[in-house]
Amino acid sequence: MNVATPQRQRGFTIIELMIATGIFLVICGAMFGLLQLSQQKYSSETQLSGAFQETRLAIDQIVRDFNVSGYPARSLFSALPPDSSQYTFSPVAWSPNYAVSSCFVGTAGGGTCVTPGDFDLIVEANLGNGAGVSWIRYQLVGTTLFRAVVPKTAGADPVAATSAAGVMVPFLTNVMNNPSAAQLALIVANYPGMFPGGVPQPIFKYTCDTSAGLLSCPLAGNDGIPANIRDVDVALIVMTRQPDMQTQQLKLVELSGRGRRVNPSK
Amino acid sequence: MKSRAEFEKVRRQRGAALLIAIFALLLISVVAIALIVSSGTETSLASNYRTSTSAYYGSLAGLEEGRGRLLPTSLNYIPLPANPMPLTQVIYITNPVGAEIVAPDDTANPTTYPDTQYKQEFGVDVTTRIVTKYTSVSPVAGLPGPAYKWVRINAVTEKSLGNGGGGVDVNNDGDVDPFTPLFYDPANRTPGGAMSPGLVETPTPPATALQALEITSFAVLPNGSEKMLQYVVQPLVEFPNLAGQGFTAALTLAGNNVQYTGPGTNSFFINGQDQCNPAGPMVTAIGYTVTSGSDSSSGNIAAGAVPVANYLGAPLTTGPPPGPSTGSIAFLNTMNGNWLTPTGLDAVVQDITNNADSVITGPATPGSFPSGMSATHPMTIVVNGDLDLNGWHNTGYGLLLVTGTLHYDPDATWEGGVLVIGQGNFVSTKSGTGGIDGAVFIAKTRDGSGNLLANLGASSFSQTGPGGVNSNVGRGINYNSCWLKSAMGPITYKVIAFKEIPLAN
Repeated sequence: MNVATPQRQRGFTIIELMIATGIFLVICGAMFGLLQLSQQKYSSETQLSGAFQETRLAIDQIVRDFNVSGYPARSLFSALPPDSSQYTFSPVAWSPNYAVSSCFVGTAGGGTCVTPGDFDLIVEANLGNGAGVSWIRYQLVGTTLFRAVVPKTAGADPVAATSAAGVMVPFLTNVMNNPSAAQLALIVANYPGMFPGGVPQPIFKYTCDTSAGLLSCPLAGNDGIPANIRDVDVALIVMTRQPDMQTQQLKLVELSGRGRRVNPSK
Repeated sequence: MKSRAEFEKVRRQRGAALLIAIFALLLISVVAIALIVSSGTETSLASNYRTSTSAYYGSLAGLEEGRGRLLPTSLNYIPLPANPMPLTQVIYITNPVGAEIVAPDDTANPTTYPDTQYKQEFGVDVTTRIVTKYTSVSPVAGLPGPAYKWVRINAVTEKSLGNGGGGVDVNNDGDVDPFTPLFYDPANRTPGGAMSPGLVETPTPPATALQALEITSFAVLPNGSEKMLQYVVQPLVEFPNLAGQGFTAALTLAGNNVQYTGPGTNSFFINGQDQCNPAGPMVTAIGYTVTSGSDSSSGNIAAGAVPVANYLGAPLTTGPPPGPSTGSIAFLNTMNGNWLTPTGLDAVVQDITNNADSVITGPATPGSFPSGMSATHPMTIVVNGDLDLNGWHNTGYGLLLVTGTLHYDPDATWEGGVLVIGQGNFVSTKSGTGGIDGAVFIAKTRDGSGNLLANLGASSFSQTGPGGVNSNVGRGINYNSCWLKSAMGPITYKVIAFKEIPLAN
């Protein structure tokens, strides 16, 4: 049998090894660089889509609460119960002087209403949760949008009722509609188009029913009272928890929605 | 020639290349998967929000189909099985996609979109009710319509109004009634006499009340997203009479110190005898609404309404119905309070305007009227401003509302109701062969600049032309309850409540 004699086992030369290791390190370096880049990107994108999701859910909830506001209206009743918590006095509750005399819806500090305002809204509705008519409040404090749901109490003030300890719960964080001056300057530098005029942007803008049709509030005279609010435009500007990991730029999302009340105003 | 050992060596080197390749592939795969996962998460987030909104609007579409098809003027009119509709009757509109079966009344079958919500409202299964089913008209030209599966139309009770709670005690009698269908009474009054329109709970509703209905719509998207919305609607019929659904006079001049100018000829009549066959109760020829000592309404009308024999009708007195009395000019004490104040009438004008077939900006002529108006298809036409009918020798049908001055031409005929609410001016200077069959209501609610008055002003009716010509003696204004009934509608089913029904999933 003719068996081939194995040749002498020859190792790699040091040059070969160095070249091979060098090439391997270069490829690995490039790969890990790419991996780190993509991880940063992934992390940033996750934060951004998280902010998107939270904002969408928030707008969906606000819009749904507003759509069903005002149920059951006073006009359903042929004789109103003495207990005013059995019905909604107005789809949008207000302050000051709730249920005694109406204030006027304003914007950017105008008007006489404390709520409804640019960053504060209280709707009255029976949400179908078995609790009867409730006050549902959305209020921006700092950069956190709070939500409160309390059963309506006859004779009570909606602002006081929703301000009780533990009632307001954080609903959406990092809302940048009304940022501090320093934050605003930073955002305007990055996103000049997002804050027209370089001023805080209202979360809630209202449209009122008038004899001349639907008009934007604030309005002169009795047309501009909270009970006449028909539509609310909700615009939320939300920042991700951390800036972009690559560029260190602030990441913001701006989403808007519109709620329309269907129930009668009284 | 290479030895076998050399081949072995090459093969070993091939193995190393494979390992390196696999390793490199692994790294690239990790990056790729990370990117895919990231974009996939974003897509599903967007889709969650989209389906929630789609289901909401799909359900809303169902509500609107139900509300629209209740109107007698709808092309796909759904008549109520009984009027009023008892609690034992339920109507469904089903909207299956393709060959799927939608059977809300089959509550035992979870695959055919059963209606279990009915039982929550009424305490009994819908299978115990008399069910009438219609098919949706929403799929057009083979395209699938909105995503709702069924719409339910039924009577409503105090108990069923509750939204997961104990009901709504609409008449404040301390009891949430689960058996009595609710009616909406626009002329309801409090014991103190103040107007208090709303839902009334009584087995014998007053003549002015109309039944409230509940419309419920259930939408399911292909991915299982569900939404259920509900309306409570009230048939909207606008009428000034407190005692029944109609008018209390052939011509009503509402307000203080109203003016009436007649031609003083034998050829112009205002007749309160019902020209409908069979005739209903007779009404006043000319009615006014203010009777205080200093008010000149009564005197102004009496001075203008001559010869008295041409003003036939019933004075609004109690007792057995008299024969036609001449010179029938009476104070209307059975007026719906909402028709006696500028704000109340303004709401009436808003309601009619919001639901009109055509809203025309004045000054206008009949050239702007919509086409298709006929005896079988009366229309609601609103003119915001003045309307000049001079030279129009045609016939209109339905409800005509003019907020400015109405320049009437007696050659024009109107079968139905004519409302001049706003400036409250009715002017006619010619003669003609036409007339108004129905009723006319005039009220001044605004000043010359268009501002709402605090109290009704001096509305005015002026017919200075000689009235009818040739053999058409007797033309003018003839009260006719048939034309009024067809003109008054209901012009829409007005939404008086809207809610979202929470679903388990």
